[in-house]
Order: sequence, then structure tokens, then C-alpha cells
Amino acid sequence: MKLSRLLRSTLVAAAGSLLATAASASDFLVSTDWLEQNLKNEKVRIVEVSVNPGVYERGHIPGAVNFVWHTDLVDPVRRDIATKENFESLLRKSGINDDTTVVLYGDTNNWFAAWGAWVYDIYGVQNVKLLDGGRKKWEAENRPLSTQVVAHKPGNITLKDANTGLRARLADVVAAAEKKDVALVDIRSPDEYSGKVIAPAGVQELAIRAGHVPGAVNVPWGTAVAEDGTFKPVEELRKIYAEKGIDGSRPIITYCRIGERSSHTWFALKKLLGYDVRNYDGSWTEYGNAVGVPVVNLAGTVWTGK
Amino acid sequence: MNIATTASPRTGWNGLAAAAFAFAFFTCVLLLPESDALGRSLPVSMLLGGAFGLLLQRSRFCFFCISRDFFDNRDARGLVGIIAALAVGLIGYHAVFGAWLPVPAAGRLPPDAHIGPVSWVLAAGAFAFGIGMAVSGSCISAHLYRLGEGSLASPIALAGSAIGFVVGFLTWNELYLRAIQEAPTIWLPNLLGYGGSLAVQLGVLALLALFLMRYPWPREETAASPLHAIVFRRWPTYVGGILIGIVATVAYFRVGPLGVTAELGSLARTAANNAGLLPARLEGLDTLAGCATVVKETVLSRNGVFVIGLVLASFASALLAGDFKPRVPGVVECLRALFGGVLMGWGAMVALGCTVGVLLSGIMAGAASGWVFALFCILGAWVGWRLRQRCGKWLQK
Repeated sequence: MKLSRLLRSTLVAAAGSLLATAASASDFLVSTDWLEQNLKNEKVRIVEVSVNPGVYERGHIPGAVNFVWHTDLVDPVRRDIATKENFESLLRKSGINDDTTVVLYGDTNNWFAAWGAWVYDIYGVQNVKLLDGGRKKWEAENRPLSTQVVAHKPGNITLKDANTGLRARLADVVAAAEKKDVALVDIRSPDEYSGKVIAPAGVQELAIRAGHVPGAVNVPWGTAVAEDGTFKPVEELRKIYAEKGIDGSRPIITYCRIGERSSHTWFALKKLLGYDVRNYDGSWTEYGNAVGVPVVNLAGTVWTGK
Repeated sequence: MNIATTASPRTGWNGLAAAAFAFAFFTCVLLLPESDALGRSLPVSMLLGGAFGLLLQRSRFCFFCISRDFFDNRDARGLVGIIAALAVGLIGYHAVFGAWLPVPAAGRLPPDAHIGPVSWVLAAGAFAFGIGMAVSGSCISAHLYRLGEGSLASPIALAGSAIGFVVGFLTWNELYLRAIQEAPTIWLPNLLGYGGSLAVQLGVLALLALFLMRYPWPREETAASPLHAIVFRRWPTYVGGILIGIVATVAYFRVGPLGVTAELGSLARTAANNAGLLPARLEGLDTLAGCATVVKETVLSRNGVFVIGLVLASFASALLAGDFKPRVPGVVECLRALFGGVLMGWGAMVALGCTVGVLLSGIMAGAASGWVFALFCILGAWVGWRLRQRCGKWLQK
């Protein structure tokens, strides 16, 4: 009995590793090859989360549904993630069942798709994966796109209550800055981190202080990404973050400007490396406006309202 | 080209010049980067601009010329051509909408479509635009294709439009906070469904066409040969109109709705911004659907290459047909072009587009803003036309 099970699992593993060379689906990432082979798989639901309007409509991965970050994945009135009720009804409308495997992808290097993965995680949804390399890689490989919107049969998924353990709030970040028992990763550009600029080029300035949270290390999100937009190999990622002192020995909080790019790094650290990570979605637009919190401003930029 | 040389010695040179412009056009298309920052194809945008320019020039799709034909002579052929464009585009847009947004539920709008807020500012902008096109002789898109016909007043009108845009930006914040911010954005499919929206709008267009077709059409000479009819003669406006409806649909499907003022507005905004003339923030402007006039960050934009394609193609088309007839404008004509241009620029800025971006692309999309623009623009054109008649001979020259 035991032997046969061992034999069977060995066989499965061998077959799996053979397949993996052509197409792989890890626990949290799927390759473009794997996804193309599973376009007709009823148990797989593809979700596009692109931030630029019209991108999904002019050509998406066949069968994909469209989630709009600004309205579907956040609460459009109060600053918060989508409510449980709204998110559950969105998922059901998209034909997602309890046993569905969800594959997320999007433009701008999967930033907003990663935000989506984080929200799914908060509501306890299992089997959520990112398409490695996102829209960019799918397009670069000339894979098929469709403009048809498919209406899926409503699903029956039931969400759990929000798991606050995946989300850092302002008080958590201030405590981390003071006590140093939690590692902070600032994934913005070096110029934002040092305080030379308050917001990246082309983006409206939404904070009135420059700099970063004391104790935070700067690992720009792109450090985790290879040329083709895919995540770097796990061992390489482990090394990159370890060099900055992020080795999983302490709990981690990631942040950026509004919390979407840091979702990408959250995904790498939490899902690929298996560390204990929370995303701080308030990020610099909350922290840099908060009254009385400690700030490190290396560049010394003074906000003058100009 | 071979045939052109046999027509007459002069058309030989024109044919050669036309070929040079066609060569320049295709060279640009081949050299363009694959896509803009949003992933929309720049070569496709330029090709569509070329097709649009060719159609405007061949079928004399000039909103004011067409209106004046009717005001002066009750010649309704041109207006019927606009209706043809709108009808074909309406059907095409609704076919695309059905695929992209199967249920036009309340609160949902199709991406990028030019569905703008409806307020008195839109009406005022359209009215000013109408007067401006009557005073300057053409609307902005027609001034662009008339560059290819050697119209030397057109660059002045376009410069005037750029100035008008800056005036528009200066008045924007006040107008936005007084009216535009609270104005409803009305998309007919939200109210009537796709079938209802199509039925009502096609019905209105059919009634308008029936009314216009009560006026007899002037007899036209038959062309000497099919080639002559296609290359040298103007096409009937409705032929151009039907094809423009198709180009509009393809454009919306692949890159974005037709429009000719986004780049002009962007250039004006960037220049005025750099000169420190504009307020630091134009309230809400970059969030509204229409001919977006963003501050330029990249040299090549989707609308920029569209307009360049339009102009190059109109040169090629006009030269080949022998419609390239440069003439030095008089002082009064220059002043009319400049002043009319300013009015058009202001109107297109506050209305978020012109006869192409709001009237054509709006009505095709089922936007109430398109119909409001059309109504007030034609009213303005009529007032401008009366003004020109009243103000006597000195304004005519």
C-alpha cells in the first residue's frame, strides 16, 4: 500500500518534471506555455487586471475576464480594498467556483494583477496564480489574443472573512520603524527612497513629505524581474533580498507609493520565497502625509507646496 | 502614375510629386516604432490617418463647405454624405460595443469612446466652433487636408486654433467648476440598450436624410472613364462618408476613436505650460473622455502620427488629382483665418474635440454630447455664414 503510493508519487513527479520543461505551473506562477495549453480548461479562469483603459478590450487572452483596478479591486469611496460582498459577487459573476484555479495577469509588469492576488489572499481564496511575465511576455511571444468577451456561468465561490494578517496598517509601520523587529522593504525608485523626489516622473505628488520610513531598505520592485518580465529564479531572489538583510528571519512589510508595485514584491517574498510578509497598501501616500511619524529624508527635499 | 503622365504634361509633374508624398508616407509608416506607451500600434494609426486624409480630400469632406452648399444653393449632397458616415459608423461602433461590453449596464462606459459631459459649455464650444469654421472657411480637419491642396490660409487658421486652445486652457478651470464637473455624461445605450440606441439614432438620421433629399440634386457630368472618376474627379460625399464610417470603426477597434485636435491641443498645452502661462492644474481635464490634450512627454503620439498621415495623404491625393492650387491669400482672408481659428481652438478645447472628435466619433458612439455638438455647430456655422454675408464684400475677399 505504502509502496504503491510511493511508486505512484514518484511516477507523477517524474512525469511532472518532464512536462515542466515544456510547460510549468508552480504553486503560484504559471508559464505562458502552460496557460496556452489550458485555455480550454474549465477549471481555469483567467483574469486580466490592467490599469490602462481599452487594453483588455482590444485584445486579451482568450476567455479572460476583466477586473478594473480603480473600481473592482478597491472601494471607490473610502480608501480600502474591495469589500467582501462586492468582491464575492464579482468573482461569482466571473464564473469562479471554490475549486477554480485563477490565473491573473495584466499590463505594467503585473503590478495590478499582483494587487489582485493579494486581495484574493486576504479573502482566503486558494489556487490563485500569476502568469509569469504578464501581458508583456504573452504579447512578445505572439500568442493569441481575442476581443470577444465571454459570459461565464455564475460561480459559487464563498469568501472567508478578511485576513488582516496579510495587511499592514499605519500603526504597524510606525511600530516597525521604532522597534526594528520587523523588516521594511521600500520598493520605490532610489530617488523616491532618498527623498530627491516625492513621486515618480509623470505622477502627481500626493504626499507632503519626502523620504522613507526609518529602517526601510530600498529594493526597487524591478530587481525581482528578469529582462522578459518574468520573476527571477527563486534562489537568485533569495540572494538578492538576503544581501539587503531581508532573509525571512524577521516578519516583513513591503510598501511603495500607493501599494500596487509593492504587491508585486509582496508576491515574490511571500509566495515565491515563503516569508512572512504583509503589504502596506497605505504606502507613502499615507505615511508621507501622516502627522508626527518618523521619516528619514536623505536628500533633504523640503515640501513647499509648489 | 503612368496614366497620369499621359493625361497632360502638367499632371506628369503632379503625379511625380504625388508619388514622392506617397513614398514619404510609407517610409514614415515603416520607420515608426511598433506602439505607443499604451501598446496601441503607431503604424496602424498612421495608416488610418492616411486613409482618412485621402477620403477627406477625395470627397471634399469639409464640414463648412458642405453646410455652405446647402445654405447657398440648397445643395444637400454633402450633408447627406455626413449622414452616411454617421449611419455606417453607428452600426460599426455598436458592433464593437456588443463584443467589448455585452451588457451596457448603467454606470458602465465603453473604453476610450468619446462620450463627453453635456453642459452649456459644450453647446457654447460647439457654437463658437461653428462660427469659427464659417469665418475661417473650414473646420480644423478640413484645414488639415486643405494644406495638401496648397491652401496658404490654412496654416494661419491652424496657428489660430493653437492660440484658441491656450485661451481654452485659461478658461477651463472656471468652466469646469461652474458646469462641466456636475454635467451628466449621457450614453444612449445605457438608457435604451444597444438595439434601442441604434434604432433611435438611425431613425433620426433617416428622417434627416429624407428631409434633405427633398431638395433636388444637381445633374453631374459622367466621368470619361472609371479611372478618371476615381483619380481625378471628386468623389460623391456619400461615398467618402460611407468609407469614413468604416475607417472610424476600424480606428476605434484598433487604436482609438477618430480625432484631429488631440495633438494640436497637446502641443499648445505643452508650449503654454513651458512658457508658464497655464495654471499648474487643469481640473479634471485629463480624466474626461474625448480628444485628450495631455502635456507631451514623448515625441511620437498616436494622434500626432495620425495627423501627419492625414496631411501627407491629402498632399498625394490632391497633387495627383490636380487639386493642388496654391494661391496667396489677402490680408482680410488671413485675418479671417486667424480669428476663425482662435474661435475653433477655444471651442474644440472646451468641447473636448471638434467636428471629427465630438461630432463624428461622439454620435457614432451613441453619445448625447455628439448630437449636442452637431446641433450647436451647425447653428454657429449658419450664424457665421450670415455674418459673412452681412458684413459685405470686404470680408469675402
